[in-house]
Amino acid sequence: MMIPSGRQKITRYLLLLLVAIAFGAALYKAAHHPGAALFQMPENSAEEPQSGSAKPEFHTDFASTQQNISTHAASLVELGDGRIRAFWFAGSREGAPDVVIRTAVFDPVKNTWSPERSIVNRVDTERALLRYVKKIGNPVAQRAPDGKLWLYYVTVSLGGWGGSSITAVTSTDDGTTWSSPRRLITSPFINISTLIKGTPFLYSDGTMGLPEYHEFIGKFGELLRIDNSGRIIAKQRLSDGKSTLQPVVLITSPQRALVLMRRSGNSPDRVISTVTDDAGRHWSKTMPTTLDNPDAAISGVVLPDGRMLVVLNNIEAGRNALSLVVSADGGVTWKTVYQLEDQRGRPTDPLHFGQIAAELAKATDAGITDAGAYGKSAQRNKCVAQHCDFEFSYPYLIQTHNGDFDLVYTWNRSFIKHVRFNRAWLDQRMEKSKNGELH
Amino acid sequence: MANFTDLTGLAGVASATAAAMLLLPGMAKLARLHRALLLCAVFVLMLIPFGAMPFAAYVRGMTGDLSITTLVLLFCAMLLPWCGAVQSRHRLALLGLIALASIAFYPMALGVGAYDPYQLGYGNLPFVAVLLLLALAAWFRGYALITLCIALATLAWAVGWYESDNLWDYLIDPFAAIYALAAIMIFGVKTLLKWPRGRPR
Repeated sequence: MMIPSGRQKITRYLLLLLVAIAFGAALYKAAHHPGAALFQMPENSAEEPQSGSAKPEFHTDFASTQQNISTHAASLVELGDGRIRAFWFAGSREGAPDVVIRTAVFDPVKNTWSPERSIVNRVDTERALLRYVKKIGNPVAQRAPDGKLWLYYVTVSLGGWGGSSITAVTSTDDGTTWSSPRRLITSPFINISTLIKGTPFLYSDGTMGLPEYHEFIGKFGELLRIDNSGRIIAKQRLSDGKSTLQPVVLITSPQRALVLMRRSGNSPDRVISTVTDDAGRHWSKTMPTTLDNPDAAISGVVLPDGRMLVVLNNIEAGRNALSLVVSADGGVTWKTVYQLEDQRGRPTDPLHFGQIAAELAKATDAGITDAGAYGKSAQRNKCVAQHCDFEFSYPYLIQTHNGDFDLVYTWNRSFIKHVRFNRAWLDQRMEKSKNGELH
Repeated sequence: MANFTDLTGLAGVASATAAAMLLLPGMAKLARLHRALLLCAVFVLMLIPFGAMPFAAYVRGMTGDLSITTLVLLFCAMLLPWCGAVQSRHRLALLGLIALASIAFYPMALGVGAYDPYQLGYGNLPFVAVLLLLALAAWFRGYALITLCIALATLAWAVGWYESDNLWDYLIDPFAAIYALAAIMIFGVKTLLKWPRGRPR
């Protein structure tokens, strides 16, 4: 056996000193890691909301105005003054280098949208991140307890959407100005395949919950817990395998939540669910629900009385019908309370498609003077050769502090449609559909 | 103004590119000084902005930030002419550990099964404690390279050296995993080929 020299002994003990310093610092950091937290109930659920009006109100319009452009994946956030800010991505086509994240603000008092503007683009993102970025996509926003607005969006450096990572920007003035982008590291495999779509939520300690999903090799839902400095403090898997995407978290109590997920792959054409009874420490085995799902996004909120309100393409194939459904038994059974869109069985040749799309645009917003241009934009994005498909997809539903509901969704990949309704309208619809068929 | 974590990430990628130069034919024939100058030149070139971003930023877009273990392995290769070779048993032990960890970690982290070991990297105290025991065990057994990699990676995570908040990203990356798996397989094949034939029964 070799006897170590004096120099080797010193090196060896210096290494031990390095271990002591490294693990002293690491154990200190780990010991001060935030502990588990409960779900925070939305403020509007503490009591029956005081709606702006007891009269049923239902209003539709378009949040976006750009024509002949591909527009998709809208999300909403309520600002400090009660206005609603929408975000979506738009460009020459989905995944094109010219895609930007755009925003506009809805004033519920005037029922009008501000002019839209671009806030994030690919080139500025890659310069700020100091890494190549090929394309950007899905934006999702959240207002933290300190009033800071967080906008998360998807960036891809390598491959298709399966190679996505999440980037975040923040605003301290409710979206007028934005910080430099920062990258979130969420995956061990060169940080690829983390995407977002579902509505973020809060934990009782003020940390933020961000539903996300993975779609490289496997397809499954996950949750990120992020502190107020943007540091990821926990990650949880909601499902595994190759069949679930885009989780939506419906919180019914500080400990209990139902997660609904878009089905994908070869799984049954149903929305997939999982539940927790311990604020997300454990999640049940995934189960198909009674809701149809054609591999399309869903969105939902929990009403103050515990009923769940969900918007989805409640059909087995296509995205040409969009429904508002409600469950009074925690997601076991569902009833359609309103058919937001339904173009099943309508002509799909470009001429008729364009005419119908123009009529639908006019019906959405009577103030539109160039409905034909809306029809042409829809043709541009939804017609291939002599066949066109209506698409009403990627819903994003929120309930504001005064109890009203705002919904946005992709309208024929051309515009972002906005629907606003109040509790009185919803109660009326629920009453009408009382004897409706259960799903 | 670049963030500290962007600078460390870019420096890691630039170092890796410089180390890759050692693979070029003829590098071994260069004098130590010329080799050092070439490595430094490549490192600097990678960090000089051409157009919108430095070359290292394009590479970083594809590779992400390199783990501390990868950097230690690369620096061992770069410093070979000056510091001498790392003992092969140390190197093999480290590569064996990386290969084992990779086989267990990546499939689960990428969705095989309901359990995600990556979640342990976000400040899980028992996970840090297990790493400490592993580092100490390696130190007692004399596997200095394993101890060095674990300690440096853990220290880097503790001080927030990279963008990542996850300790796994400091310990391991797919490049170290692929290299380790390939090296262990080659070692295995070579050992088998050297195995004495016609041994007495």
